[in-house]
Amino acid sequence: MSQLQARFFTEDQRYVVDDVPFSVPAASEVQDLGNVINKLLEAKHASHSRVEFDFLVRGQFLRTPLATHMETEGISTEDVVEIEYVQRITAPEPEECMMHDDWISSVEADSEWILTGSYDKTARIWSLEGKAVMTVAGHSDVVKDVAWVKRDGLTSLLLTASLDQTVLLWEWNSERNKLKARHCCRGHTGSVDAISTDPTGSKFCSGSWDKMLKIWSAVPTEEADEVEEPADRPRKKQKTQQLGLTRTPLMTLSGHNEAVSSVLWCDSEEVCSASWDHTIRVWDVEAGIVKTTLTGSKVFNCISYSPLCRRLASGSTDRHIRLWDPRTKDGALVLLSLTSHTGWVTAVKWAPSHEHQLVSGSLDNLVKLWDTRSCKAPLYDLAAHEDKVFCVDWTESGLMLSGGADNKLYTYRYSAAQTDAGA
Amino acid sequence: MEASRRNVQSAGQRVGMKKTEKTDKKRSKPDEEEEEDQLFDLNNKAVEEDEDDKDLSDSEDSVYSGLEDSGSDSEDDDDDEVVEEEEEEEEEEKDGSNANEDEEEHSEQSTVKKSKKKEGAVVEKEMKKDDEYDHDTSDEEDIRNTVGNIPMEWYKDFPHVGYDLDGKKIFKPIRNKDELDDFLEKMENPDYWKTVHDKKTASDIVLSDEQIELVKRLQRGQFGDVNFNEYEPTVEFFSKDVMIHPVTNRPADKRSFIPSLIEKEKVSKLVHAIKMGWIKPRRVEDDSRGRFYDLWASESSSSLAKHKMHLPAPKIPLPGHEESYNPPPEYMFTDEERALWEQQDPSDRRLPFVPRKYPGLRQVPAFSRFIHERFERCLDLYLCPRQRKMRVNVNPEDLIPKLPKPKDLQPFPTTQSLVYRGHSGLVRSISVSPSGQWLVSGSDDGSVRLWEVCSSRCMKTVQVGGAVKSVAWNPNPSLCLVAVAVDSVVLILSPALADKQVVSSSERVLTAKEEEEGPSEGSQPVVWSETEGEELNQGIRLKIQHPKPVHQVTWHSKGDYLASVMPEHSSHLQVFIHQLSRRRSQNPFRRNKGLVQAVAFHPIRPYFFVATQRSVRIYNLVKQEMTKKLQANSKWISSIAVHSGGDHVICGSYDCKLSWFDLDLSTKPYKMLRHHKKAVRSVAYHRGYPLFASASDDGSVIVCHGTVYNDLLQNPLIVPVKVLRGHAITHDLGVLDVTFHPTQPWVFSSGADATIRLFT
Repeated sequence: MSQLQARFFTEDQRYVVDDVPFSVPAASEVQDLGNVINKLLEAKHASHSRVEFDFLVRGQFLRTPLATHMETEGISTEDVVEIEYVQRITAPEPEECMMHDDWISSVEADSEWILTGSYDKTARIWSLEGKAVMTVAGHSDVVKDVAWVKRDGLTSLLLTASLDQTVLLWEWNSERNKLKARHCCRGHTGSVDAISTDPTGSKFCSGSWDKMLKIWSAVPTEEADEVEEPADRPRKKQKTQQLGLTRTPLMTLSGHNEAVSSVLWCDSEEVCSASWDHTIRVWDVEAGIVKTTLTGSKVFNCISYSPLCRRLASGSTDRHIRLWDPRTKDGALVLLSLTSHTGWVTAVKWAPSHEHQLVSGSLDNLVKLWDTRSCKAPLYDLAAHEDKVFCVDWTESGLMLSGGADNKLYTYRYSAAQTDAGA
Repeated sequence: MEASRRNVQSAGQRVGMKKTEKTDKKRSKPDEEEEEDQLFDLNNKAVEEDEDDKDLSDSEDSVYSGLEDSGSDSEDDDDDEVVEEEEEEEEEEKDGSNANEDEEEHSEQSTVKKSKKKEGAVVEKEMKKDDEYDHDTSDEEDIRNTVGNIPMEWYKDFPHVGYDLDGKKIFKPIRNKDELDDFLEKMENPDYWKTVHDKKTASDIVLSDEQIELVKRLQRGQFGDVNFNEYEPTVEFFSKDVMIHPVTNRPADKRSFIPSLIEKEKVSKLVHAIKMGWIKPRRVEDDSRGRFYDLWASESSSSLAKHKMHLPAPKIPLPGHEESYNPPPEYMFTDEERALWEQQDPSDRRLPFVPRKYPGLRQVPAFSRFIHERFERCLDLYLCPRQRKMRVNVNPEDLIPKLPKPKDLQPFPTTQSLVYRGHSGLVRSISVSPSGQWLVSGSDDGSVRLWEVCSSRCMKTVQVGGAVKSVAWNPNPSLCLVAVAVDSVVLILSPALADKQVVSSSERVLTAKEEEEGPSEGSQPVVWSETEGEELNQGIRLKIQHPKPVHQVTWHSKGDYLASVMPEHSSHLQVFIHQLSRRRSQNPFRRNKGLVQAVAFHPIRPYFFVATQRSVRIYNLVKQEMTKKLQANSKWISSIAVHSGGDHVICGSYDCKLSWFDLDLSTKPYKMLRHHKKAVRSVAYHRGYPLFASASDDGSVIVCHGTVYNDLLQNPLIVPVKVLRGHAITHDLGVLDVTFHPTQPWVFSSGADATIRLFT
């Protein structure tokens, strides 16, 4: 069995070859197949310049010689093999390294600005080029999570959640570089570890160590909500001076038995939360009830949802990234496990424009770029960090970010051509 | 055939005896000899009867007796042959016809004999007549002389030798031959050598050449007839092939088809007799009495039983190739083997001798150890064990208790996840907040650090100015307080790492009882004091001054009571129980019952565990009496932990043991675990999961699964599930403290390498 019948196809119109079965050596690897395709394309278009391709056999990336791959996948070698090829994702190139004063706990970037939360009790706003624009100081304790809410022209709304049990809603004018704390969201009795805004930017959800999720309004107003103060009010006043107007939650979702480690507003009225009680719960925000509970066996650190493939990705303390289908009712069905990390997976993020790719960060100092079609090994290991990685993000523009305990925020430029092809 | 002939001969002899009433010496000779003699008769007689001839020759007339013996058979001719041969032609002719008839009736061998006789007759005939075959017969009586078969010496003194058929005397020839004549004849007569003397006729006969030739042939054992082929091929009438014709053509008898009536009668008689019981078919011979007897009939059953348990003497193994005088080369010792053999103790040697090679069996010397070996053999026989050893074949694997797979006992910590770095000295003690979010550690570098569990971030460092011996987080979730033992002071720390409500309530607890402080003071050995300034800013709220260095602090589960341990041999002030809300301290024990190593509160009941070096005493704090004393079976208890249910206690000891007690069961440890190589420093129980862990100086933490079933009949399942390594051994100290996460199956360990590690 030295030759195999293979038919090549692609969805990328630029690199289409004739739909003819070819006889390829069984021992050929990705490089050999790439040569074949490039030769074919050169024969077709004289102007073709060499392109690196990756090959998929039945939805799985080819990483070994073709015969070995088919043997492990149990594909018959008698028939014509359908091999899909895509342009190879080039390695993300590290772009900027933004030094912080302390550990970086969280990062969120939009098309223009990067917002990072740090253990030095501040959040920072950076330009995409790595210039520090603004320091958001106001919390009395470590900033655990940050989120952009909305941008109206030059005015942006942003959120910072902290160990001091509050979430602050800030208004930032990028032109004048003026920052104003609009609201102080009080109500949690533990450190607020995760926040997430809804797609419209009118509400946000927070998850806390006190096992609660709270839904808040993200619309800044001019009046403070009424809060019943404890009896010893003067003492408390002394301790922390109020920043912005107090805001109370619209709704409290309780049901987790342990600390909530990650929340996610995945649909207009749907909130997902991961907890240390080994469950991921999907909540109906309207009704305030649990829609689905996905039960795992280990503590969940982070979740991410991709509307493209409608999958939840979770990172947990047993080093695995698991993919879930949140629509299954009370199912604990793991669709796929991505295993390569050697430490807790602390952050996971789907590619905003690619249905198969996600990035993950772990306590083993590595950031990994994954393709779900190759679950055994990641596409790339980004070994820039020297200490634990706590947060990763991935912007629409193809920028990947990761921050960790080495006080550095790395940005990686991700090949733009890929986004076209993948989506 | 020979036998029959002999009979016939003897019969003939008898006849002869009757006739002559005298026995010839020749007759008594064995027949074989006789046979031979007969062959030579012609020659011998000539010589032998010379004397006779002298006498016989005296009478000229030879008389024929015509009388024939009627009783004589043709066989008698054998004996009378010589005589007969000298009969006259007429008779011979007659005889010949008879002889021919006779020949046909005789069997092969006799035919041979007859042919000899015939030859003899031929000789005679040729001498006398040409047509001898007309009448010559060897069967006929020699009728030339009718005296018959008598010794001829009887006629020695007569001039005749007998009578012819007509009754006339047959006279001997006139003999004038004396010795000289004889000699002269011998010298002169060329035919002397072939001249024979016939006694019966007393005449000399010169043998012809044919006769001589015949004699020679017979002497050689050949047939007289030259033309006779004795080796003619036999015609086989019977062969292996099945022939179409039977050997005999005789039809089968009728009787062979018909059952025999006589036999039938006999059988029916037998059957009738058997039926009537007159005869017994196949009577078994009864040997029970008489011929044989039971030698051991009188033996008791016990002695018989002994025989059943007979043990054969140990057998000598058969000699192998090594014992050979010429062993194959692979059995010969190499130099190393020989050296080893010489070094070894005789009892350890594989062989009791050295194989040696000799060129031949004859070269083998006497076996020098023979006596020795015999003696050993006798010893073997004498010392052969008299009792049967009941050997039970037990697979050692079966003796190992069936342990469940660790996989089935999950969850338990398996891998190191986080390392909390920051201390510069060995970390003596760690404690986790009741929520599981924070971890406090006390180190020899004089600091107490507060860590965020999930990120290994050190949130706060409190300098306490001395080596921290013990830290304990208040187990009450509504309070956020840490007790720290530094030297002889117990500090109450408020880390302010909790909800404001909790922080404020703990503040309240700390400050509430200021008014009552006054009266409780006095001659107390323990002094409570509040802190100020720098210490207050760090969060240290209260100081409890003890008279001696405090080694351990531990909280009651309600969080109000605090126990501290000051081990000292000579004092009864070893344990203090402090009440935080009232700022009171008391010493519960009046007497010193031994060096107190560790104390613990019962999580539910008002019991107090005090571990001394060898035992654990359980006191009822309400009744103020000792309820139980657990014997740890170890030399020096280092630590104690109580299960959250309060029914089980584990004790670690410096002699590497971990004892597991079931308080309902016994005061002895239910199980002793000796998995550690070095002293066990600390033990811990998980609050929710059935896990306990032990930390040791060998740098490892061993996590054990310990399930106690509600069914009392089922034994508790205590299985070590994981050895966790990670801590480096520094100054011969490994892991100093171990504690579980309150909610997750995670275990923290602090080591002498100044790190704290989290295993998940």
